Amino acid sequence: MEIFESRANDVLILTPKGRVDASNAASLEAHVIALIDAGERRLVLELKDLDYVSSAGLRVMLVTAKRLGAAGGKLALASPQPAVREILDIAGLSTILQILPNARAATEAVR
Amino acid sequence: LRPIGHAERIAGVASAHAALRLKNRLSELERLGQFIAEFGADHGLATKAISELQLAIDELVTNVISYAYADAGEHGIDVRLTADGGEVTVEVEDDGQPFDPLTAPEPDVDAPIEERQIGGLGIHLVRQVTDRLEYRRVGGKNVVVVHKNAAKSR
Repeated sequence: MEIFESRANDVLILTPKGRVDASNAASLEAHVIALIDAGERRLVLELKDLDYVSSAGLRVMLVTAKRLGAAGGKLALASPQPAVREILDIAGLSTILQILPNARAATEAVR
Repeated sequence: LRPIGHAERIAGVASAHAALRLKNRLSELERLGQFIAEFGADHGLATKAISELQLAIDELVTNVISYAYADAGEHGIDVRLTADGGEVTVEVEDDGQPFDPLTAPEPDVDAPIEERQIGGLGIHLVRQVTDRLEYRRVGGKNVVVVHKNAAKSR
């Protein structure tokens, strides 16, 4: 997995590419937590290049949302592939995380 | 690289097998996913079902690697796939401590975010994307059997 980062003013957009499973979820989580600790409050996880996620990756999304929520920030997910969207739905994360069709809409949602 | 396997035709019913031995390392999960994808493509399984099988077997193997072993040594985890028409059976066998993953409590996936549990999602996902699960302890090994209809819809 690689993570690409881009910025739209105060919104940081993270675009992980490849797979997030139990082998790399911890490093993704550490990276995101470090960003929050460094002061980032508005995050978008753009999922268009995420080919696969297991519960380990869902856990990172949940932890990120909780951390940001506790710090007065916001998280939105953008553009999941169909298989990833299905897993978000089954896990019940679609009802508690904002999921938008594209990064632009997600960026607006965390403003 | 093709998985070890063979196809046989008995009384007009095609049945195919493939087997993979993984080490108890999380870095093996990607190879597991590729193995299932290739098996699914070779045997004409539905795309959505292949994704769901990848998820289910990943979760089971992740559990084994993370929790089954009392020592830090190397262990083998066997994954055996069978496709009989669109009916897929997967066996995951490990030599870890006795553990029945089917007894894991269900997480509340309707709870609000503040009360949402961080763990416990894995086995929930396995249950949701498979048709039937079995567990048995045989000869000092844990065997979880997954059944799933993976036929393409007509």
